[in-house]
Amino acid sequence: MTETQNRRRLIENLIGLLATQIVVFALAFYIYQESTRIETAQNQVLNLQLEDAMSLYAENCAVCHGLNGEGIGSNPALNNPALAEMPYEDLYKTISRGRYGTSMPAWSKDDGGPLSDYQISEMVGLVQAGDWAATGDRVVNLGLAPLIPFTTQPDVLLLEQVGTLPDGPTLQAAIQLFAAECVACHGADGLGTKIAPTLNNPLVRQKTADELNRTITFGSAGTLMAAWSNKLAPEQISGMVSLIQRWDEIPAGAIPAPDVPIATTAESLALGQTLFSQNCSRCHGPEGQGTQRAPALNVKSFLTDTNDQAIEQIVTGGVPGTAMPAWGDRMTQVDIQAIVGFIRQWEASAPEVAIPTRGSGGGPPWLRTNSTTTTTNANTAATTQTGAMATGAGTGTGSSSSGQGNGQGGGQNQVASTPAWWQTLNWPILLGLTALLSIAFTLISKGYTTLKKK
Amino acid sequence: MTEPNPPDTMLDRLRERLTPEEFPTDDRGRIRMVVDSLVLHLHPSKVPVTTIKWSYTWGLGGLSAVLMTILALTGIILLNNYTPSVPQAYLDILEIRSNVWFGELIRNLHHWSANLLIIVAVLHLIRVFLTGAYRPPRELNWLLGVAMLVLILGANFTGYLLPWDQLAFWAITVGTSIITYVPLVGESIGRLVLGGPEVGANTLLNFYSLHIALIPLGIFGLMSYHFWRVRKDGGLTLPKPVDPAPDPLTWQKPERVTTIPHLVRRELIYTLGWFAALLLFAMVVPAPLEGIANPDISPNPAKAPWYFMGLQELLLHFHPLVGAIIMPGLAITGLFLLPFFDVTSASVGIYFRSRRGRSLSLLALGLATLLTPAWVLLDEFVLDWVGWLPGWDSLISNGLIPLALIALGLFLLDGWAVKTFGADTEERVLFLAVFLFTAFVILTMIGIFFRGPGMALYLPWNMPAAVH
Repeated sequence: MTETQNRRRLIENLIGLLATQIVVFALAFYIYQESTRIETAQNQVLNLQLEDAMSLYAENCAVCHGLNGEGIGSNPALNNPALAEMPYEDLYKTISRGRYGTSMPAWSKDDGGPLSDYQISEMVGLVQAGDWAATGDRVVNLGLAPLIPFTTQPDVLLLEQVGTLPDGPTLQAAIQLFAAECVACHGADGLGTKIAPTLNNPLVRQKTADELNRTITFGSAGTLMAAWSNKLAPEQISGMVSLIQRWDEIPAGAIPAPDVPIATTAESLALGQTLFSQNCSRCHGPEGQGTQRAPALNVKSFLTDTNDQAIEQIVTGGVPGTAMPAWGDRMTQVDIQAIVGFIRQWEASAPEVAIPTRGSGGGPPWLRTNSTTTTTNANTAATTQTGAMATGAGTGTGSSSSGQGNGQGGGQNQVASTPAWWQTLNWPILLGLTALLSIAFTLISKGYTTLKKK
Repeated sequence: MTEPNPPDTMLDRLRERLTPEEFPTDDRGRIRMVVDSLVLHLHPSKVPVTTIKWSYTWGLGGLSAVLMTILALTGIILLNNYTPSVPQAYLDILEIRSNVWFGELIRNLHHWSANLLIIVAVLHLIRVFLTGAYRPPRELNWLLGVAMLVLILGANFTGYLLPWDQLAFWAITVGTSIITYVPLVGESIGRLVLGGPEVGANTLLNFYSLHIALIPLGIFGLMSYHFWRVRKDGGLTLPKPVDPAPDPLTWQKPERVTTIPHLVRRELIYTLGWFAALLLFAMVVPAPLEGIANPDISPNPAKAPWYFMGLQELLLHFHPLVGAIIMPGLAITGLFLLPFFDVTSASVGIYFRSRRGRSLSLLALGLATLLTPAWVLLDEFVLDWVGWLPGWDSLISNGLIPLALIALGLFLLDGWAVKTFGADTEERVLFLAVFLFTAFVILTMIGIFFRGPGMALYLPWNMPAAVH
């Protein structure tokens, strides 16, 4: 056996020895840290499930139990230490089968609900160990913040007018009761919301008094409609029935929409800012100061007089007869609410009167004034604030459109605006292409020249 | 040799039976040991010294067997903690991760060994192809090997579903949708495999039974046959120098050395080395696990398992019948027929057949590296067969026409190799095979690294996170 063969064999044997040692020591270390790893993994699994549960909460529960699980009206709070102490089985049973005589329906698929057993166990985890502030943020980011809690005050003049109708006082009392208890779900003037149906409707009016009375007294199984006999006296219920049956006589606006601010998070504000600058700034100005084409939004006169619901309504439906289109066709409710939240946070620093600006939007880019010099100090303060928030954009659980469209490397297949192919070239692409081409050509030329040599 | 008297007491007799025999010191004893041992007698008692060089076989076949063993052992342990039902399967995986001692390690080992096995098995196939070891008399063993590769892919694919997470569910949904493109019987086969119209509880049960019983049985059966055939075919092919190529008649057979210690020692070191590397990797890198499978929410992009990304990439460019059935079908058929087409025995044992073969391989490698991405970009942005040929069946416009063009291109390449460089049959096969295989690897890499949401092209470092 030669010298080199011997040396090789020695090296090979040493590699084998090293491998054996790695196996032994690595396993020993792994055994040593396994209990820690299991603990970490359990936390990870819990966090994973809480993460799911927060979205489920936003989609299914926030409507009744509130933004942060604080409870709405007669629906109980969930962010309650006593509830977190309850045994797993009790919570599981309550969620999966509902609670008889309350508006809590059965959520299990077995009982006709939407949630799987696994999802219900995740929800139990949320009740027991959830972070309710984070849950509230999730609800807002998904655009599912409940339009509640609210009650409203009946319009005084119109209420007097109702008093002149036959049996006026009953109707007046019913209207007041509706404004206090029912408007949260059944909406202003009983026109309904996304949670509960409209009551101010000929079809409902056709129903008999008995039928309506029964629904209010015993609730409607499988829906959020609770049995109100627990809370209302029989004469209150019958008053409510006559209100429903005679709603066509009540003047519109008697029970006005409440002023409920749209909740925001850092993430939703950043999204709102992005969407505003992409879609709204061309007409309303980069900082909402208005242009010749559209009125200023960043003024006290607009912001104090128009509540969030009204702005949302304007953005969604547009303003007929003006250049303001209906954005509801192009944007999701999440997007629109984010924009409304973004506009609303100008209010604190908005000037009393709009500062007229030059029209900025026409002409080639080099003639366009993007940074307005006419804004007030207060406005720049607002801009830096939102700018700081924008840095947080795209890091969270990206709601619908944030982060998309940016960071597109090749820029292909973009529906909105496809740039010509040469516009997508940047130095990483060129570098990669050069590397690829040089590798390919080296191989080809090497192969080719050695072939030709023969 | 005289038999010694048996020891007096039962305990001593037991001890004598159970203590290993002394390690032999002479070649005769070593040969006896190999022949007498159940496991070792897979080997011949003596092996040619040139075939046990690292740089000839790279130990790829043996490594595949080692990985199969690791997979079987870890798989059996995992079986004890798994229920093939919805949603218990997912909960069991969570349980393995967070409550079973060493559960995560075992699962990681199983996962990474399985993925490594695909790579190693393909490399083994490449090694056998490049050294011409599939030629007579080894045709049958080549067929067995290709069949095992198919089974390994099947085992991987069926195992992919078992965790029942989003990744598994949608990868299998995408992967099995390819089956339905088989003409006439595709729908029925799809329903048979899935146990219904879509991936569900029955699919999980089907895949489970395939994964833990049928496919492993097939693989271990074929493996034994494969090993036996290696011996029957006269052991490994002998490596030969490329320059000058030896005359088969006068060529001196290499010296033979005893299996113990020369081969067994290396096998042991190789196994230990790979096991240590795999163990470290499995300790550090966890096997992926996403949220529980949700048939209502499909991730974007929904990708097949990585080893099928080449196929999925083909599907983006061709009519499904061509991209998913005809082209892979031709490839598998070609692999099966290869040893009956290319039968030259002179160059067996020479990597890349000859000097010219080596140059042609470099050329094919370079051409495929250049042409494949170029063609992908061209097809993505310029070619629009369906738009150019309105009213034509897309099977023709987007399937058969580009297929014919590619066949024409291969035909021209082949003609070029013959006309300009005077390649003979085995070199032409090598040239085209290297070209096609490189192209397939590049397509797979494009599919894995360059496809983002909507299966649009992205640069890996600008890839947006998948939308769930």
